[in-house]
Amino acid sequence: MGDLTIFLLLLALGYGAGTWAEKRHYRSIMEREEQLLHLPTITTKKVELDDSKVERAVLVVGSVVISVDYFKRLLAGLRNIFGGTIKSYETLLDRARREALLRMKEKAHGASMIINVRIETSTVGKRAFKGKLGSVEAIAYGTAIKMKS
Amino acid sequence: MKFIPRRPTGNINVTKTSAIREFLALAGGLLAIILVLYLSLGVAVEILVPHLSAGIEQAMAVNLLPRMMGKEIDDTKSRELQPLLDRLQEHCTKLPYHCTIKVSSSPKVNALALPGGTILIFSGLLDTLTSENELAFVLGHEMGHFAHRDHLRGLGRGLVFMAISTALFGPHNQINRLAARFLNLTELSFSRHQETAADHFALEVLHCTYGHVGGALTFFEKLAAAKHSRYNKISFFSSHPLTPERVHDLQVYSRQRGFGSGKLTPLRDNL
Repeated sequence: MGDLTIFLLLLALGYGAGTWAEKRHYRSIMEREEQLLHLPTITTKKVELDDSKVERAVLVVGSVVISVDYFKRLLAGLRNIFGGTIKSYETLLDRARREALLRMKEKAHGASMIINVRIETSTVGKRAFKGKLGSVEAIAYGTAIKMKS
Repeated sequence: MKFIPRRPTGNINVTKTSAIREFLALAGGLLAIILVLYLSLGVAVEILVPHLSAGIEQAMAVNLLPRMMGKEIDDTKSRELQPLLDRLQEHCTKLPYHCTIKVSSSPKVNALALPGGTILIFSGLLDTLTSENELAFVLGHEMGHFAHRDHLRGLGRGLVFMAISTALFGPHNQINRLAARFLNLTELSFSRHQETAADHFALEVLHCTYGHVGGALTFFEKLAAAKHSRYNKISFFSSHPLTPERVHDLQVYSRQRGFGSGKLTPLRDNL
């Protein structure tokens, strides 16, 4: 009975805390995206610019590590048995990508644009080596260009 | 090209879904599949067990026995009790194989019927017995399990079920443990019918050997008394549930068959 109680407690805790953290994170993401909307962030490798007008070009990197909660991990485990889209991981990766992009944009404070933006993900943590998802890292990087004013 | 700062509408990368509903559907589906598997396994075991030859059973036992018996086997006591078991099975039972008795030095008050005809009796149970008749009843009861092949039924279903859940999810996982909890109960109630049948068998053996069934009821009374005083947990009851119905059934069966009570043969002191 003890095992079952712990299991159900973890499940409830995972669901409660996970949902709360996710909502909070999304609120923060929305706000900051709004604030940084003015900064053009594009994936194009080359842009036609007058070199004499470029003040600086620097590499900007933003990265974040987010863990999935116990409930969603279990849900994904169940999904692994039957197959299909693992919806419970969608928000995790979506948040990670957007947070990494935001951090990169915040890093490029004062830039006129960021070009050649790339996003990569990887799994971190003990479980990752066993082929399971532990925590996910998203890393976004690009070249921030500052024009002479 | 002009840059227009604009937020995308909606989020295509995140499906709007109820995680709880998905969880219930998946977990429910999984449990249902396990349940169907388990039930069909039970049927499969019922079909299989009567056809399982004594030879196959003994071949299986070679691998199973060392793990089931543990290490604390008292060979001296086992040898001393063997003649009694031989006496019981020689004239009064028809078992497909020759049974052997093993005494395990353990405070547990229990006896088990192991595959291949080995009766494992714990010294804790031996200590509570005072007469040979009581011991004969216990041995007869376990032989009853052999005769009805109950020991294989319990074993077969358990083994196959564990094998399947482990093959699906690995040995350690919560789903497996959770499912096992529900299913153990069915196994217990399944055993209760078998207990009564084994009791009847034991009464027949007792009457055949001693000419009376004295000792059968005193054994239960003693265990029930021990349950309240000396021992917190009598494990005999966990695998052999003691209910008022069971004792009542013993009395009724004895009366129907015309089995009376008689003089008890005392057990030797060193046992």
